[in-house]
Amino acid sequence: MQKFGWTALAVLMLGACAPKDGGEGEAADAADASAADAAVASNETADKANEAVRPDLDPYPSTYEPYPGETVLLTGATVLTGDGERIENGSVLIADGKISAVGAADAVTAPEGATTINANGKWVTPGIIDIHSHLGDYPSPSNQSTSDGNEIVAPNTAYVWAEHSVWPQDAGFTRALAGGITSLQVLPGSANLFGGRSTILKNVPSRSVQGMKFPDAPYGLKMACGENPKRVYGERGGPGTRMGNFAGYRAAWIEAAAYRKKWDDYWADYKEWENDDSDDKEEKPPEAPARDLKLETLAGALRGEITVNMHCYRADEMVQVLDMAEEFGYKVTTFHHAIEAYKVADYLAQNNVCAAVWADWWGFKLEAFDTVGENAALVHAQPNGCAIIHSDDALGIQRLNQEAAKAMADGRRIGIDIEPEDAIAWVTSNPAKAMGILDRTGTLEAGKMADVVVWNGNPFSVYAKAEKVYIDGALMYDRADPSLSPRMDFELGMHDNSFTGGAGQ
Amino acid sequence: MNANRMKDLKMKTLIAFAAAAATIASAASAQTVAIMDGRVHTVSGAVIENGDVIIRDGRIAQVGADLTAPPGATVIDATGKVVTPGLFAPLSSIGLVEIGAIEDANDASPIEGFPLGASLNAIDAYNPGSVLIPVNRAAGVTRALMSPSAGPTIFAGRAAVIDLSGRPNSVTRAEAAQMVVMGENGAVRAGGTRMGAWAVLREYLDEARSYHANPNDYVRRPHDGRFALSDLKALGPVINGEQPLIVSVNSANDIRTLIRLKNTYRLNVIIAGGSEAWRVAREIATANIPVITSAMYNLPGQFEDLDATLKNTARLNQAGVKVSFNEDAHNIRLIRQHAGNAVAEGLPFDAGLAAITLNPATFYGLGDQLGSLDAGKIADVVIWDGDPLEVTTKPEAVFINGRPQDLNNRQQMLMERYRDLSRGDLPLAYRGAE
Repeated sequence: MQKFGWTALAVLMLGACAPKDGGEGEAADAADASAADAAVASNETADKANEAVRPDLDPYPSTYEPYPGETVLLTGATVLTGDGERIENGSVLIADGKISAVGAADAVTAPEGATTINANGKWVTPGIIDIHSHLGDYPSPSNQSTSDGNEIVAPNTAYVWAEHSVWPQDAGFTRALAGGITSLQVLPGSANLFGGRSTILKNVPSRSVQGMKFPDAPYGLKMACGENPKRVYGERGGPGTRMGNFAGYRAAWIEAAAYRKKWDDYWADYKEWENDDSDDKEEKPPEAPARDLKLETLAGALRGEITVNMHCYRADEMVQVLDMAEEFGYKVTTFHHAIEAYKVADYLAQNNVCAAVWADWWGFKLEAFDTVGENAALVHAQPNGCAIIHSDDALGIQRLNQEAAKAMADGRRIGIDIEPEDAIAWVTSNPAKAMGILDRTGTLEAGKMADVVVWNGNPFSVYAKAEKVYIDGALMYDRADPSLSPRMDFELGMHDNSFTGGAGQ
Repeated sequence: MNANRMKDLKMKTLIAFAAAAATIASAASAQTVAIMDGRVHTVSGAVIENGDVIIRDGRIAQVGADLTAPPGATVIDATGKVVTPGLFAPLSSIGLVEIGAIEDANDASPIEGFPLGASLNAIDAYNPGSVLIPVNRAAGVTRALMSPSAGPTIFAGRAAVIDLSGRPNSVTRAEAAQMVVMGENGAVRAGGTRMGAWAVLREYLDEARSYHANPNDYVRRPHDGRFALSDLKALGPVINGEQPLIVSVNSANDIRTLIRLKNTYRLNVIIAGGSEAWRVAREIATANIPVITSAMYNLPGQFEDLDATLKNTARLNQAGVKVSFNEDAHNIRLIRQHAGNAVAEGLPFDAGLAAITLNPATFYGLGDQLGSLDAGKIADVVIWDGDPLEVTTKPEAVFINGRPQDLNNRQQMLMERYRDLSRGDLPLAYRGAE
């Protein structure tokens, strides 16, 4: 990748390059720094004529602030850390919104003033993360007024941002919270080749979507393979075939590469102009290119700043997509709905791509015909395999633990050694890694956000319920306490007021 | 997939059947099977620890503790296993649909403009060779109601109870139920209002009564052609109260209207959907109406679902309503997960198991034949490797009509083909073809 001499974007590009080399933590640190820099850069652009134009990379910044939480010691529990470890009779200490310590019960002591919760018989896991949700953009109630998930007007709508559709009053968020969901990625739908940008949220109710946005999380780009785009556009000018789909992707990447170069050239020219101390220096700086929202997103994906989320069912299409990614120099982070991932699990692992799958949905269309219950397990079993269980559904998101349980059990039956401490990664650390937030959440590690679920038993059971859900150390849901069960505006005062919905309905 | 291809697959499946199941498979000819020392959930009575189930000639011959295996019986040691009746999916389109979005692989529901509804008969389109059947059978489902889905008219048509053996003669009861959609689904088919939907339903029932009171007279009278004669004919057993009418409704208001209609027309009614049924649980119990619902639906998804809650079935059961759970065609196996989730929300375990075994059998007049482990009943039996309502549990053996079933299926074969991706001497497409 090209290097540039200026600050904000350069930092961001370096950061975003890093995941290609596997340096997750470093990348995210750099991304942190870059977002702050970008904000500064944007303010400065407005004020100073003598600065190069730099489009604001974060114009709708997160305003989320963690809610207050106590210092809490959860002790005596079976702890699944999310990164493969299981601690029997373990403790998790939460302080200042962060995980402060994790270990054997006798190795973690409560500081003065801490509330100690005897979690004997309970299981403690990281907060559950859904990499594929449409909460907020296909909210409840579902009708024409609220249907905001698919911009079905052109095969390439990379210019739309899912966050602009998210209705924070979707009751589905509350139900997901009761299922242990602490973070989620809301994606545009799959009608288009390029559906638009995703947004990553903390599952904390807010008046605005900005108040839910996961601070400094990378954006994602939603793309779709196969049947959906060709079905939707087959009689609307195309693409009408899978080859049409690919022609559409490739043409867009070519355009995006040119756009990226145009801006890179401009910044280089600007730098040159700025440093020019000769007598014949041009009076006016070079003119910035016109912005294009669609290409800005695609160029962001090419730069590695935006994760690529590819809806793709069929094995052969996934392999084609991997070649395309190489052709244009970008990285596919995750194949979503990867029904046939097990057929190419080796390719996926070699290419460092995650497969986000359902446990057992199938048959609603031909490309979803070949599912197997062992899909996630077979992806997981590859060296470097990255399996994720996702929902794509306002009901499924409430029980990703059960979906992971089914997939784990099917894998075990064919002799793949998967323990709960492994499979919990499918709904915690693996989606966090794919979404670019693993440095801050997704596992129970000291220093990370205290996104924690206390289950009333083994979460890999149909009978398990999330009893307490902490987000950044704040107790946001308590199954035993109706006052800790958020209710959305839409649900208030319905009928005779005796039923107001909410997480604990 | 055509029938011949399917037959090939099934043959190969039988041949490829794993060694572990070989003992069971050999029992196919023996006809007498003794399942010994399992935890037996009869559903009709108490759980029998270390219980035995003797199957003979397709029927359950004996259930109890410390039984003696009859001479010549195939003996299955079920120590540490759980034995239950086969699961019964009370409402689905299995057998009518192969792939949802493929027109020529989906016979579940007619398209826009097609005039008939009630007269559609599921058995006419039934494909016992469907690959969905072995997939769901391997998960312990032995019976299902195969129902059309509503097209342009409010009536979906006549549903049949089938067994999941995949045999050509696997129809247990043709015309076991009629289905109609009310609520929002009815309204969109009847001028946009619920008033319209109920008015159209009453018209059909009145018209059917008029026809059946005197068919010859009816056909001689002039009609405006709004009611197809075949639909009115098909509604005969419904207006007689013989054939259950499954009514899709969700809101408490619609359910109250349905109860009035049931009482006026003396219908045998089953509620499907019922997301707000808990609000009228006592009235439903008094009217003796069963409810087929979801144990996982808890969103105000439509304005008729505003009070949907995970506690729906627990509350209905408390009021004395018989409940069951439905899933569409491909995953009727998930009725088990529904039952487990309902139990996690307060439904007693026994009621949860009955909801997916005995209750559906009683809905369709088969309660004396199916749904529990009692001597004399049809031997649909499942041996599980654990708690039958737990998501991590799987069947180890499935019997339908007393016959041990092949648990292999297309998904299993795909998995076997691809579980080892290393390059062999021939492409992967040669694997599993032997």
